[in-house]
Amino acid sequence: MLSSRQWFRYNWLWLVRLVIVYSVLQLLSPAPPRAPLDGPHTVETTQPHICVHTRLIDEVFEWKIQRSLQMVRELGATSIVEFFPWAYAEPERGRYDWASFDRIIRHAGDQGLRVIARMGLVPAWARPDRDGQRTTLNYLPEDAYDDFAAFVASFARRYAGRVNHIIIWNEPNLAFEWGYQQVDPVGYVRLLRAVYGPVHDANPDVVILAAPLAPTLEPPGSPHGLNDLLYLEALYRAGGATYFDALAIHTYGFTEPPAAPPAPDHLNFRRAELLYALSQRYDRPDKPVFITETGWNDHPRWTKAVRPSQRVAYTVDALIWAQQRWPWLDSLCLWVLRYPASTRSYPDNFTLITPDFQPKAVYLAVQAYARGWERTEDLWLPAPGE
Amino acid sequence: MAARPWRVIGVSLALAVTAWIWTLAGALFLLRWIAVDRPPPPPPPLLPYGELRIGVDASYPPFAAVADDLYGLEIDLGQMIASRLNAPVRFVNMGFDGLYDSLKADQVDLVLSALVIDASRMGDVRYTLPYFNAGLVLVSPAAEPLQAVDQLPGRQIALEFASEADQLAHAWLRRVPPFVILPYELPDYALDSVRQGTADAALVDAVSARLYLRLHPNWRAVSQHVTDVLYAGAVRSDRGALQRAIDQALAAMMEDGTLAQLVSRWL
Repeated sequence: MLSSRQWFRYNWLWLVRLVIVYSVLQLLSPAPPRAPLDGPHTVETTQPHICVHTRLIDEVFEWKIQRSLQMVRELGATSIVEFFPWAYAEPERGRYDWASFDRIIRHAGDQGLRVIARMGLVPAWARPDRDGQRTTLNYLPEDAYDDFAAFVASFARRYAGRVNHIIIWNEPNLAFEWGYQQVDPVGYVRLLRAVYGPVHDANPDVVILAAPLAPTLEPPGSPHGLNDLLYLEALYRAGGATYFDALAIHTYGFTEPPAAPPAPDHLNFRRAELLYALSQRYDRPDKPVFITETGWNDHPRWTKAVRPSQRVAYTVDALIWAQQRWPWLDSLCLWVLRYPASTRSYPDNFTLITPDFQPKAVYLAVQAYARGWERTEDLWLPAPGE
Repeated sequence: MAARPWRVIGVSLALAVTAWIWTLAGALFLLRWIAVDRPPPPPPPLLPYGELRIGVDASYPPFAAVADDLYGLEIDLGQMIASRLNAPVRFVNMGFDGLYDSLKADQVDLVLSALVIDASRMGDVRYTLPYFNAGLVLVSPAAEPLQAVDQLPGRQIALEFASEADQLAHAWLRRVPPFVILPYELPDYALDSVRQGTADAALVDAVSARLYLRLHPNWRAVSQHVTDVLYAGAVRSDRGALQRAIDQALAAMMEDGTLAQLVSRWL
C-alpha cells in the first residue's frame, strides 16, 4: 500500500499533464456570452400601437439579437412579432431544446418589449416522409395536429407571463404556407381546435391569435391559394371563432398610399378594414385585432414597390391613419426590422435597418414620429430642371 | 458408452468446419460479386416530365412580368434555353417566397427569377452561370470619367434618396476624404443632374442606368460597376446533369452573342 506522499511522487507528472489538458479544453470551450443583460429598460414612445416584426430566430450571434431589440426599443415600438419554429425546438418527438427561444425572450424582456410569438415549421419526424426530402417544412399532416398542439402548449407553459400572445401558423390561405396542399379553411379550424384547449390549459392568460392571411385575390380552386376575405369567411362558417381569442391580419400597401380606399377585388393597406368588418359579422365585437405584418417595399424594380421617398411617407401616414381611425386595433406591426443576412432580392427592401444595423431613412422617420421628435429638414433635393 | 463424447465432439467439429467453409465460400462469392465490372445504372432523364418547367416570380420587369401573358428578359431566356435543350418549356408563376421551395418540392426544374447567387443555399441548389450583373454603377460623362472610389473626394455624387446607393455612398464617406452627396427622389433625377452638369457622377443600379442611357442615346457617358449582383438560374442539387446542360446552353449564348443581344433588347 502506497502512502499519499509516495503516490504523489509516482504520479505528479500525470497530474501536471491533466492540468495542461484541462487548460487546453477550457480554451476550446465556447466563449462566455458577450451580450449581458443591461436592463430592464422601458420603451419611450408616444405611439404604443407601433410594433415591429423581427427575424431573430436564425441569428447566430446573441449580441445581434440584443442589438436588434435595442433598436426596436429605440424606435419607440412596444412589441415584436417573432417566429418560433417547432422544428427548431423539438428535433425529436418529446425532446425539447429551448436555448434559441430562451435568449430571444430573455433579451426582449430586458428591453421592455412584449413578444407576440408566431408558431409553425414542422419537424421531419412529424411529416410523412421522415427524411424530409419531399415535403416542405410547412407540411403539417392532420395526424400531427396533436403533436403540434403539445409543442405549443409546452411553449405556452414555459413562457407564461413573458409570452402571452401566440399566433397559430402563418398565411394558411397560400398553398406554399400550407405545404403545397390545396388550402383548406375547415382543416385549419381543426388545427385551431386541436391547439386551443391544451394551450389555454398550459397558460390560462394566453391570447390565441388565428393565423393572419396573406393578402391575395386567388379565386376558389386556385392551386396557389385563396382570397383572404373568402378564406376568413369560410373559417368563420366552419365555427373557427370559438378557437381563437384575437384576429391577426396581414395588410400591405403595395403601390398605393395608406388612405387609398379598399375594395374586395383590390389589395391595399385598408383591406384590413374589410377583414375587420367581416369579423364583426361573425365574431364578438370586442375581439382584439392585431395587424402583425404591414409595410411598403422600395425595391427599384419590383412591380409592387414604391420609391424610397414614398415608402418613408406612406409608412408614417399609415401609422397615423391607424392611430386616428382604427380604435379597434391593438398593434400595427411593421414588416420587417432586419434579416440576419441579405435575401439578395426585393424582400431586403422591406427592412428598416441593414444587416449591419445601419438605420434606413424609413426607420428614422418612424422613430421621429413614435418618439415625438420634430424633423424639419428636407430629405431630398428638388428634381433638376432642364 | 465411452465413445459417445468423442462422437459429439466429432459431429460438432464437422458442423463447425462446414459452417466455416460455407462462410468462406459466401465471403468469396461476395467479393467476386462486388468485383464484377457492371455498367453504371442509366442516368436519370434530364427532364423527367418531358418539358423544362421554369419557376418565375413575374413581378419584376423587365426580367419577368405578366400582362395577358408572361413577358420579359427571363421569359425569353427560358425559351432560348429550352430550345437549346430541344424541350418544350412551361413557366410556373409564383411568389418569391416559394421559389426555392418549389425546387425542393419538385414543382419546377429550374428557377429563373433574378436569383442572386447565395452561398448559404448551395447545399440545396446548384446555380447556373450568371446571365446579368444588376449591381450598382457609377455613371459619369465620358469626357470626365469617374471610375473609382478614390476619385470621388471633393466631387458631387448624385443618387436616389434612401436607396442602396445612398447607403453605399455613406459607407464610402468613412473610407475616403469627403465628397458631396446629392440625394434625389428618383434615380433618373440623379442621372439628369450629371447629364446637366450639376453632379460629377451618379451612383445608381445597373438596370436604371441602362434604361436611362437608352432614353438618352446622344449623351456620351461611361458606367463602371462598383458592386456585383449576379443573377443566375437554380436547379435542385441532385440535378447536376441539368445544371451542366443549362450551363452549356448559356455558355454558347455568351459565345455567339445571343445573350448580349437579349439583354440589349430589354435593357
